[in-house]
Amino acid sequence: MIAIQDLTFTYKNGKTPALQDICLSVPSGGFLGIIGPAGAGKTTLLRAITGVIPHHYTGDFYGSVHVNGMDTVDTSLDRLSGITGMVFQDVESQIIFPTVEDEILYGLENFGVPREEIPLRISEALHKVGIPDLLERSIASLSGGQRQKVAIASILALKPQVLVLDEPTGELDPGSSRQIFTILKELNEEGVTIVLVEQKIMLLCEFAKDLAVLDGGHVVLQGETRKVLTQVEKLQSVGVNCPRVTTLSHLLTERIGRQQPVCVNLDEAERMVRGLMK
Amino acid sequence: MNKLFQYVPGNSLIHRLNPVTKIALTVVICAAAFITDHLLFLVCLLAIDLLIGLIAGVAGRTWSIFRGLVKIAAFLFLLQVLLTRAGNPIFWIITDHGLLTAGKVVLRLIVVCMPLTLVLAVTRISDLTNAMVQVLHVPYPYAFTVSTAIRFIPQFLEEMSGIMEAQTARGVAFDQAKGFKKFSMILPLCAPLLISSVRRTDQMAVAAEARGFHLRTRASAYKQYGFSTGDLLTAVFCILLLAAAILL
Amino acid sequence: MIRFEDVSFAYPDQGSSIRDLSFELERGEFAAVIGANGAGKSTTVRLADGLLRPSSGRVLIDGEDTRNSQVSARARKVGFLFQNPDRQICKNTVREEILFGLRTVRSEEGESALQARAERILAEFSFTGDEEPFALSRGQRQRVALASIFAAEPEVLILDEPTTGLDYRECCHIMDQIRRMNEERQVTVMMVCHDMEVVLDYASKALVMAGGRLLAAGPVREVFRNRELMEKASVLPPQVISLGLRLGDGYETADTPEAMAEAVLAHRKKEGASDE
Repeated sequence: MIAIQDLTFTYKNGKTPALQDICLSVPSGGFLGIIGPAGAGKTTLLRAITGVIPHHYTGDFYGSVHVNGMDTVDTSLDRLSGITGMVFQDVESQIIFPTVEDEILYGLENFGVPREEIPLRISEALHKVGIPDLLERSIASLSGGQRQKVAIASILALKPQVLVLDEPTGELDPGSSRQIFTILKELNEEGVTIVLVEQKIMLLCEFAKDLAVLDGGHVVLQGETRKVLTQVEKLQSVGVNCPRVTTLSHLLTERIGRQQPVCVNLDEAERMVRGLMK
Repeated sequence: MNKLFQYVPGNSLIHRLNPVTKIALTVVICAAAFITDHLLFLVCLLAIDLLIGLIAGVAGRTWSIFRGLVKIAAFLFLLQVLLTRAGNPIFWIITDHGLLTAGKVVLRLIVVCMPLTLVLAVTRISDLTNAMVQVLHVPYPYAFTVSTAIRFIPQFLEEMSGIMEAQTARGVAFDQAKGFKKFSMILPLCAPLLISSVRRTDQMAVAAEARGFHLRTRASAYKQYGFSTGDLLTAVFCILLLAAAILL
Repeated sequence: MIRFEDVSFAYPDQGSSIRDLSFELERGEFAAVIGANGAGKSTTVRLADGLLRPSSGRVLIDGEDTRNSQVSARARKVGFLFQNPDRQICKNTVREEILFGLRTVRSEEGESALQARAERILAEFSFTGDEEPFALSRGQRQRVALASIFAAEPEVLILDEPTTGLDYRECCHIMDQIRRMNEERQVTVMMVCHDMEVVLDYASKALVMAGGRLLAAGPVREVFRNRELMEKASVLPPQVISLGLRLGDGYETADTPEAMAEAVLAHRKKEGASDE
């Protein structure tokens, strides 16, 4: 679905490349989590996937990014955004209109969705994120979590094949964060390819199928989530901490001298410890 | 203050008018206020303003806008009265002419500002822009700019109060200063405000572009903005009002 | 140091949001306010600084009612770090930013004394002083804001989600610095934080809130091990503590992966488990 080859990008006015020699691919139906310290190039990578780079943010672009077989450099942003939907880090600037209904209508109107189909699209999108009752509400009256759901719904209404999100739970509390991830998981199961940047490692490990770790514009680790999590030292060297249950499984592997399963959540950790007790 | 420009949901006669009609009514009231030179006519216009607010079921909002404007008006009135030298003195340095012109200036201000804010209380911004594009053939990018600017006002105010809170907490004496002093303390804080605004505007532009901003045409809007009997009656009222302002 | 006496508070256009809040923090305590969204945490820390004034009851800082003085006059004693550093930072270099803060709260000390103070804090936070704040990362900017607060040497530090939006390394950096102030200078810390791992690692006391009321106040570990309380407050305890509670059997006391691993090994030894 997404194929990035030898991508190196330097922003106009930028001194050093924000991304260097990136090679990354995400299959259709994939769920890729991206993590890394501040300034690693995470947001830039998402921008390159959506085509906002090079169409909105210009600069020196080497290599190629293909989405659904289309080269993002040669394809217009309008066509690309019909396939890839993007949810930004700052939900306040993502939402353009003061009411939920207007916000969701906007994209539908622009892409010329047939008039008779629009009410259905709106209600579908709101149902998917679990807020059908908020249609008439003003954005100002919503909580942070609800606003994030509106932002996601406004993209879902356009039926994207790929959903790209930049720290969607950055400003949310643990409860709302988990809700957002649960919604994403459901969408993923329906076939939407998901790529997101996230700092909350516990959620990332539990929900993402694959992980990519960025540092200084390079991909330093990538692969299946559990495989990446076994590289404890490498992760620590770029300042990414594992979930504590994962650290526990590493410690036990080390102390007992026998490979323990890489745990990403409580259930698995409980099973592992109980297994060791027998 | 934050809510001054926010839409108040409703289904009143005024709410249901075509947005273009509402703009026309606003423009006509403003025009009438500038054309006329009669104090009494201005009072009538003010009454019309208040009546519109009442019919639209936004009496509370109307009243708070009115109260806010009266405060500014009182200051201007005083200034005008004290500075006018022409006319016959009534008391100290106050003249009859001064009182009359000051009264008119101030009334005009209130009469003009009220519908401009009220129209935002009874019309969704999206309806306003869509109707402007559909009916008045305003190019969409212009309409979009206006609508996002209006959407920005509450965000801007929120950011401002957040900054003032943060600065107060670190010892900048906003809570002890008043009036002009407070204003002069705000100025140096414009840097953070400007930076956050520029960042937001840029991201909003990307958000709009990524959802087909450039694909939008005049026919894109989902809602259609037709004219009803109410619009016709309002139009007649507008013509009469304008005629009265010119002839009286 | 911070004392709430039957404090209630309501925002003008909403119902009452804080009801009958009473607690006390001793000098040098490190307390975290925890609870779900809408529990009243942010309101509580704003009441503690006097940014909001109670509608009934009173808030005392070092024995002084917050209603008797202005917030800005108290800034020297009470520092407040917000979630968003950009609302605090308004100067072009880190040095200017720190001096700006110092000049507002310690103007009587004279320029050269303030300059010396600024240099000291720059060194402590390993800034050169010439950095432009808006070119720094979010975590670095948060450290600039923190440095400018520390420069005034407050006795109380109030934090409203100081680590939100930061990566792990930046988060540790900020929190370690706060811990140092707390331990070395006996600064009383009151922090709102959503990350329970951070709360476990740094705070010693937890104030648990739900629906504008205080459900409980006590040592962090005790609070996290109280299942009923955590459920009532809709708070998910830190992973290792949850795991310990699930396992029971003496594992409840483990609070770090290391302690848990030790416990598992000790258990295996006792049971005589063999490695194959």
